[in-house]
Amino acid sequence: MRALALLALLTVPAQAADIPRMVEETASGIDQIYGGPWEFFVGGGAAAFDCNGDRLPDLAVAGGANPARLYINRSDPGGALRFEAVPLGLDDRLSTRVTGFYPLDIDDDGHRDLVVLREGRNMLLRGDGACGFTPANTRWSFDGGRAWTTAFAAQWERGAAHPTLAFGNYVDRSAPGSPWGTCEDGVLLRPQGDDADSDAPDYSDPFALTPGHCALSMLFTDWNNSGEPSLRITNDRQYHLEGEDQLWRIPPTRAPRRYTRGDGWARLKIWGMGIAEADLDADGRPEYAITSMGDTKLQALDAEAETDGPTYTDLAYARGATAHRPHTGGDHRPSTGWHAEFADFNNDALLDLYIAKGNVEAMPAFAAFDPDTLLLGSWDDTFVEVGEAAGIALDRKGRGAAVADFNLDGALDLVVVNRGDPVTVFRNAGRSEAGRLGNWLMVELSQGGGNRDAIGARISARIGNRTLERRVAVGGGHASGRIGWVHLGMGVAERARVRVRWPDGDWSHPYEVFANNFVLIERGEPSVRYWYPPEASAGPAR
Amino acid sequence: MQRRPALALLALIFGIPALHAAEPVWSERVVGTPLSRAEALELPLHSLRERGEALFVGKFTTGDGRGRPMATQAIIPTKRRREAQEGWQRLSGPDAGACASCHNEPGVGGAGDFAANAFVSEGFSSHDFDTTDPQFSNERGTNHLFGAGLIELLAREMTATLHAQRREALRAARAGNAPVDIALRAKDVAFGTLTAHPDGSVDIGAVEGVDPDLVVRPFSQKGVMTSLRQFTINAANAHHGMQATERYGARWTGAGDYDEDGVADELGEGDITALTVFQAMLPAPVAMTPENPDWIAAARRGAARFETFGCAACHRPALPLENAVFADPGPYDMAGTLRGDERSALSVDLAAYLREAGVERDDSGRWLIPLFGDLKRHRIADAQVAALGNELLAQRFVAADVFMTGELWGVADTAPYGHRGDFDTLDAVIRAHGGAGRQARDAYADAPEAARGDVIAYLRTLTVAP
Repeated sequence: MRALALLALLTVPAQAADIPRMVEETASGIDQIYGGPWEFFVGGGAAAFDCNGDRLPDLAVAGGANPARLYINRSDPGGALRFEAVPLGLDDRLSTRVTGFYPLDIDDDGHRDLVVLREGRNMLLRGDGACGFTPANTRWSFDGGRAWTTAFAAQWERGAAHPTLAFGNYVDRSAPGSPWGTCEDGVLLRPQGDDADSDAPDYSDPFALTPGHCALSMLFTDWNNSGEPSLRITNDRQYHLEGEDQLWRIPPTRAPRRYTRGDGWARLKIWGMGIAEADLDADGRPEYAITSMGDTKLQALDAEAETDGPTYTDLAYARGATAHRPHTGGDHRPSTGWHAEFADFNNDALLDLYIAKGNVEAMPAFAAFDPDTLLLGSWDDTFVEVGEAAGIALDRKGRGAAVADFNLDGALDLVVVNRGDPVTVFRNAGRSEAGRLGNWLMVELSQGGGNRDAIGARISARIGNRTLERRVAVGGGHASGRIGWVHLGMGVAERARVRVRWPDGDWSHPYEVFANNFVLIERGEPSVRYWYPPEASAGPAR
Repeated sequence: MQRRPALALLALIFGIPALHAAEPVWSERVVGTPLSRAEALELPLHSLRERGEALFVGKFTTGDGRGRPMATQAIIPTKRRREAQEGWQRLSGPDAGACASCHNEPGVGGAGDFAANAFVSEGFSSHDFDTTDPQFSNERGTNHLFGAGLIELLAREMTATLHAQRREALRAARAGNAPVDIALRAKDVAFGTLTAHPDGSVDIGAVEGVDPDLVVRPFSQKGVMTSLRQFTINAANAHHGMQATERYGARWTGAGDYDEDGVADELGEGDITALTVFQAMLPAPVAMTPENPDWIAAARRGAARFETFGCAACHRPALPLENAVFADPGPYDMAGTLRGDERSALSVDLAAYLREAGVERDDSGRWLIPLFGDLKRHRIADAQVAALGNELLAQRFVAADVFMTGELWGVADTAPYGHRGDFDTLDAVIRAHGGAGRQARDAYADAPEAARGDVIAYLRTLTVAP
């Protein structure tokens, strides 16, 4: 029997899971290029969010020295990806030198606003619900500063009507000795006199997150399942040789404080570029992918640590997730990783890991041909590289990215912002062989009383004996944020029981939902509502 | 055993690995080489059906992969926590060597006596049980499968109708920028109401008798299985430990031998196709005409009383079928069951069987399928009449006392009755109807004995085959 079993194992293909066929859409209507001098070697982000209420994800894309662009999604359900460029609402001066975007509803008016990261004055743009935006720095008492901003995250602290904003900054070029060792501090902005009845939050009192170590990504994350998220920052050691990644405790009503060695926080000194979180083992304590030059880190809380502090162990090598060299082509120098995002691209109910890659510009010690990576999650908890087979291994310098279902067919598409090259738009056309991918579920959360999009909520979907976890967050990646539908691949499961842990910690009752549907979960409602995309104006593309 | 020479000949003629094609004639295996979908499509229909029948009646052996020492009975591939101690387990399964071990009255594909009851469990957290305590499983009788292809076709058409109604309501709500309420109705069966909102969302709180996705799932006593194909895959794993590649294979589990019994890829896509086709082609039950003139007269009166008592409100004597071509795979299955656009379809025209059975057509040319059902779920117990509400476990989001209307065609040959086979007479099971069946039940129970006898006389004509 055992011999037969061994034989059976040997006959199983190494990669039996579906490889998503990512088709580059060359006529998507997006013609943006992120470019410019040294200041734009980093950054290059995009925001995927619905700015006009049709539940299709629209896009804002940074341009660096080129003007940032806003694109309305005109895709038909299941069809080719089509976007229409519209004015962003920034004048020529402010629309340039943009490094990234994050979407969120800052003033609780039900319309998504935009946080614009810039090399120079950051901007907050107030959305009108019809993809029109107006600068709101003055309205919201937001200074914007003069720093070179490259990271952002937001959360609603307990009881708050408006979000707390965190900005991460890069090199302070005006400091003596710049650029070496002259990283600019980040800032944390809590709404002052937070008034739930006011649509004008007051961000006039910044708190300096000092020392800054040249942040390139940050994320509010509930690392210990305490209900009180901390701020995780990954920093670029390139310009701060003594720097390291940081984790800030953000106790409500008190000043932030960094976790230290005494708390169990161990030094992590990398060229930190991007952060992604996912609770891979559904234990309530997320794991983190952190991109760098060379090895990507895959951090999990160290079960053998002597304290219950934030002591992490690196699983990347054991799980096959280092992605440290180009997976195709002849260049064997180390990779440079940027945007990272966990998502289920093949709907098999296992999380995959996408990493945008590309040389900073022409760094000789690192790979010049460094295509993006798609690591498919496997049933043995390892990851398998399929970037080339999936069709995303292009010769471009990836930076930020947006992973979203742009044509509402249940399969995640991908938009990559490239430095010096046009944005690439990939439509997920399903299984590489003929046929569809696994089952899926799309969830949209809403609640009243501020934080309508339930930022910070946790979605816990039970299929059989497995639990799929997702967290609604604004932050992380590389200068790129997303808000809207939360996607879950469900494999062969036809049904799921979904519970929501709302941002204030309250758990919902279980909602019973059927796969291959869009479901709206409104806090307090006894059942979900199903949602259906508008009918296609033409036949589906596949 | 008798089929082997014919099947071996089949293999020789068509060069297709039918049963035992590469096996000695004395092989104890049933499946032989699993059949791929492509191989199945190359087979003549009668050969494919014959292979399906052989798989249906053959008692699978460990050589075929019978048993699932490290997998549960769940429809989602689920590992056991520890290896099963026994290859057979009458309660949590595997509990049968062949489909026909239970589906055998009055013939292959038929129903089962009480002895053939199955113990249905989701197979997740409490997959291993050795008690009939209803907190661990729902005990169910074995339904017959005659006419099952027609049942699935009716369900597909009803689903298409409901989806079209939802689509039209959404279109109107969006166009008019106002909510639109619609009464859901398919083949004149009402499924409650639905409200479409201008933003594209729908309220499903008032939908009745069908899942919120408006897919009519006609199979199982509970009405929770979409297709014969899906049912076959589920049952093969649960009852035999025979795992279909399209659900339990490497694509969805990472392992060819998911149940760790030493046999990989136990049932190919072609095998499931063959089993599906065999079941879909099982003849529709046909009511018999008694020789006894008194019985004829009583049955005629009984047919009228069946209507006036209200039985026919749910046990619809016939539902109209537009198109009798059975396509496999079907249009509404989800991942884990071969789907319509994954493989080219196999079409089986069941019209000839309908003509042969003398099934009537209406003025529009639609086949009037005499199933005596509505393919809708109903609550079938209430506070006073609760005998059919004797389960504790909801199944796939369907409450414990809610069941699909049992189709009555063939009822004369398929006692005992009720979802657990609790009732050995038709009179008893009629009296057990509560809930949605209460009014009809009361009308029956309050009627004179002769009138009740007429109804029984009528139902006793609903045989599997005259």
